[in-house]
Amino acid sequence: MRRYLARQLVQLVVVIVGISMLAFAILHVIGDPVLLLLPQNAGKAEYERYHKLLGLDKPIYVQYWKFASRAIQGDFGKSWYTDTPAFRLVLQRMAPTIYLTLAGLVMALLIALPLGIVAALKRHSFVDNLCTMIAVAGQAMPIFWLGIMLIIIFAVRLKALPASGYGTWQHFLMPAFTLGAFLAPLTMRLVRSGVIEIMNMEYIKTARAKGLGEWMVVVKHAFRNACIPVITVLGLQFGQLLGGAIITETVFAWPGVATLTVESIRNQDFPVVQCAVVLLALIIVSVNFLVDMIVGLIDPRIRVGA
Amino acid sequence: MKAVGAGGEVAIKGVGDFSPEPTAARASLRRLWRLKWGMAAAALMLLIVASAVLAPWLAPYDPLAVDIQHRLAPPVWMDGGTPKHLLGTDQVGRDLLARMIYGGRVSLIVGVTAVLISATIGVLTGLTAGYFGPRVDWLIMALVNVMLSFPFVLLALAVIAVLGPSLLNMIIVLAVADWPLYVRVIRAETLAMRERDFVTAGRALGMSHARIVFRQIFPNLVSVIVVIATLQVARVIILESFLSFLGLGVQPPTPAWGNMLGEGRVYMLNSWWIAAFPGLAIFVTTLAINLMGNALRDWLDPHMKL
Amino acid sequence: MGRAAALAIVAWLALVLAAPAGLEAQTKDDTVVYALQSDINSWDPPNSVLREAIILGYNVFDHLAARDIKTGKVGPSLAVSWKALNDTTWEVKLRKGVKFHDGTPFTARDVKASFDRVLNPENKLVARGNHAKIKSVEVVDESTVHFQTDGPYPLFVERMTALVIQSENQMRQKGHEWMQEHPVGTGPYRLVKWDKKQEHLLSRNDEYWGPKPAFKYVRVRIIPETATQIAELISGGVDIIKAVPPDQMDVINKSGQARTGTSPILRTAILQLDQAGRGGPNPFTDRRVRQAVNLAVDADAVIKHVLNGLGDRVATAVNPMAFGFDPSVKPYKQDIARAKKLLADAGYPNGIDFRFRTGLEVVEPAVLQTDDALAADMVKAGFRPQLNYIGDQTVYTAQVKDGKAGPMFNWSWGYYSIFDADAILYDVFKCGESWSYYCNKDLDDLIAAGRSTLDQKKRTEIYAKAQRLLFEDAAYVFKWGLRGVWGISNRVNYEAPRDEIDRMWLVTPRKK
Repeated sequence: MRRYLARQLVQLVVVIVGISMLAFAILHVIGDPVLLLLPQNAGKAEYERYHKLLGLDKPIYVQYWKFASRAIQGDFGKSWYTDTPAFRLVLQRMAPTIYLTLAGLVMALLIALPLGIVAALKRHSFVDNLCTMIAVAGQAMPIFWLGIMLIIIFAVRLKALPASGYGTWQHFLMPAFTLGAFLAPLTMRLVRSGVIEIMNMEYIKTARAKGLGEWMVVVKHAFRNACIPVITVLGLQFGQLLGGAIITETVFAWPGVATLTVESIRNQDFPVVQCAVVLLALIIVSVNFLVDMIVGLIDPRIRVGA
Repeated sequence: MKAVGAGGEVAIKGVGDFSPEPTAARASLRRLWRLKWGMAAAALMLLIVASAVLAPWLAPYDPLAVDIQHRLAPPVWMDGGTPKHLLGTDQVGRDLLARMIYGGRVSLIVGVTAVLISATIGVLTGLTAGYFGPRVDWLIMALVNVMLSFPFVLLALAVIAVLGPSLLNMIIVLAVADWPLYVRVIRAETLAMRERDFVTAGRALGMSHARIVFRQIFPNLVSVIVVIATLQVARVIILESFLSFLGLGVQPPTPAWGNMLGEGRVYMLNSWWIAAFPGLAIFVTTLAINLMGNALRDWLDPHMKL
Repeated sequence: MGRAAALAIVAWLALVLAAPAGLEAQTKDDTVVYALQSDINSWDPPNSVLREAIILGYNVFDHLAARDIKTGKVGPSLAVSWKALNDTTWEVKLRKGVKFHDGTPFTARDVKASFDRVLNPENKLVARGNHAKIKSVEVVDESTVHFQTDGPYPLFVERMTALVIQSENQMRQKGHEWMQEHPVGTGPYRLVKWDKKQEHLLSRNDEYWGPKPAFKYVRVRIIPETATQIAELISGGVDIIKAVPPDQMDVINKSGQARTGTSPILRTAILQLDQAGRGGPNPFTDRRVRQAVNLAVDADAVIKHVLNGLGDRVATAVNPMAFGFDPSVKPYKQDIARAKKLLADAGYPNGIDFRFRTGLEVVEPAVLQTDDALAADMVKAGFRPQLNYIGDQTVYTAQVKDGKAGPMFNWSWGYYSIFDADAILYDVFKCGESWSYYCNKDLDDLIAAGRSTLDQKKRTEIYAKAQRLLFEDAAYVFKWGLRGVWGISNRVNYEAPRDEIDRMWLVTPRKK
């Protein structure tokens, strides 16, 4: 068990380093930020000076080493766009995205759990396919479409919720639902399969034979064990969420780290992008790590590298 | 009352949807009937594919024909609509129906190609990870985790920034982003199967690794792969629309459902049809694919965990 | 699992409720809400290339002179009077009794410090180029300043509206990095809070020397999505939005909650052609080809149908509101036959294939539609433009500066809010300037002549000649002067400003 944990931790570190290297390499290939930072009438001498100032004249592995050694201490440099520390900027914006993601996951569960259970109980029937349709609708409907429709209905027509922004619990509802709808289909599918699998197991049949009500059986046993695939996929989804978060944050004017990352890529603000990617990766990998641990505990067969 | 059905299910009368199945012939007919949704979906997909292939003959206009005198015309059934443009026109007067039909081409080509590539890579990787022992497994899973944790958007932005936005580059990006998803499932199945009798027997007989993997293990995975791949086509179509929406995919004026959505997003408040129809197209297509995938799963192996 | 789920939900609720409650200190009635599409990178206006930074800066800082938005003329602000002592010296008299937000008095030393800071090349401030003609600034007494210029500088008066006066005290004591987030000015509002990329809160400066703002607070909200901005406007969440696409005006006007206001603005749109060959040889180095493409497009129809009439056709890139505009030069009218003939004469009887770059909707709303329409027109005369769309402002601008945007790309110019022909001719037409893809010695001579005399009558003649030259040489494809469209809530009174500067202190509540 200890060895397993250790191995996983090593893998975690390897993954983080790998991601930071990848991010670093990609950024330096994308383009030349010096051109964008200089005022328009700067000459070649200015350009060279800036180039040196930002350390871009050194070979790439030297640059990476400098970056990595500072990053461990939490120093990701200053944003080239706003002249303020990158770490502080990213941290400020991390919280709203995390909240949004968690809210989205909860929403997804709220949608997917009942649908998945119903679909499992009424397997292969019209209801099963109906649940699939509803779940797919949430994902296939383009996020911004859903988002803007919600804004039109709830903010403009009904005036029940604020159209955008961040602050109160009312601000959370529409963005969370939008993101949750995006995640619901896969989650539903997994809940359904998990429930089906459990339904056929011996002890369920024993419980049934004992005469317990259908719902009791489901709730007590199936629920608890259907968690494994659900937890696995939620861990997986956490990483994929960035894409959905970007559009949700844009549409709802949510001050999160997803939009910060995209903006900074566009502005070629290297320090901020590197910081955001590394921190996000840290969170995602940790979540996946936790998930793998929990699942590995429950079912030793699928432990990685065991 | 207990009965064993044709699918090997243990059925208990009076509970849920598990009805007893007396004869084999009726059982097969029942299976087919249960797949009616899938068959309907398959027929729909055929229609969509056919319209994409037959686009030059089906489309009423050239999808690139600008006509600013008739821009923002609503669909025929609305006030101001004309039978000349059944689904209305977009912001520079191009016929929406024509653009929708041509747009389907991009989505389908991208979807199928990207999935073929990513499935091949993903399956091979998963087989390798599951078969060749803990060290290889660990290495591959580390790589997979890096890929899964790395924000897809950053990857896409980077690749497209370097290579330029085009159909081919988009397929590459989507394939690269997608393959890790196969690995986990394939790996788990391979691991489980590796210990089975027929494999140990094969090894004892001196069969080469390649033979064991491809002749013995792989055929058992085909059903899973087919189902996942089918579902992934839907997912890739959605991702393609996401990329086009961000401006990274097929560039306007070439019609693609994704960039039509992006262009139409401002117009959702008044000329809603510009974004609504491509969105509907994506929804219907992904729904059909999902239902088809469900049916495939049920037909190939009703116990499949998807 | 039930317990776990319950725990998760409780945790989520706790997080949500613990999330910041937002800036609810002020009430709705004493706050005006203004929306921007993207946040500024700094509250130090000379250090930012962003128009939004200039606009927000106007609300917190003052300049030496200010434009009267009704007449368009430059009038006194922190300076009460000015005169040219000779060809290279300007004397400026300053207003007395003005205080900075931190209580320190405003004097000539602050003027000198502000200009010195910008002009010092060591500071690398982006606004330096705009004021480079000023050689030095001398403090004569507490309220008099002398400016020594490098030769005659006729734009001096206009440019006095272009530099904010910052506190010399702050520069000395706090330094550059602090100034990026803590503006100290003399203006009608002061910055209270800045949640990066989310919102700014400004509060009224009750000791302001000028007209007292009606609203005590200004909330500047960052809302990137246009559709969301409009939704917020018509649901009462925001009071003023700008850059409304012409096609969305009816949504606002029909809502009953808000209305649109329009105004011609200085920004002028063109399609730049690579006449100077910065990107290598291309067909547009030939005047006949350039004339052909000008004759191929029907800009008037595009204004009418695509912009719903919201554009002012111009013969060259000089805007009707700018000093030096010559109305006697009439714009090209569409003539496909003549265009085809010119193209054949130039040696392209079968037309030309070329790349047509476009983008930057945030600066020029509806630009994709108008360029699509123009491209369709070009096809009629035998051109085969391949539209190449770049959505990214930074990338697009970088390519333009680098000479890589040609042979044809969409561009627009805001003149830096200087209502003078020189403000576009120099940067966009002078040979060798980073934004210019045109090279013509005769024009360069005219530009130099226009800059080196203070005689306005002479300058008018010079610029008339320049415009005629540009027209006959078909330097670029000339489009139109833009009209800005603002969305204004029925809760407030506000006039669309012709220089695109949103002055929050002029917004007043509407009586019911």
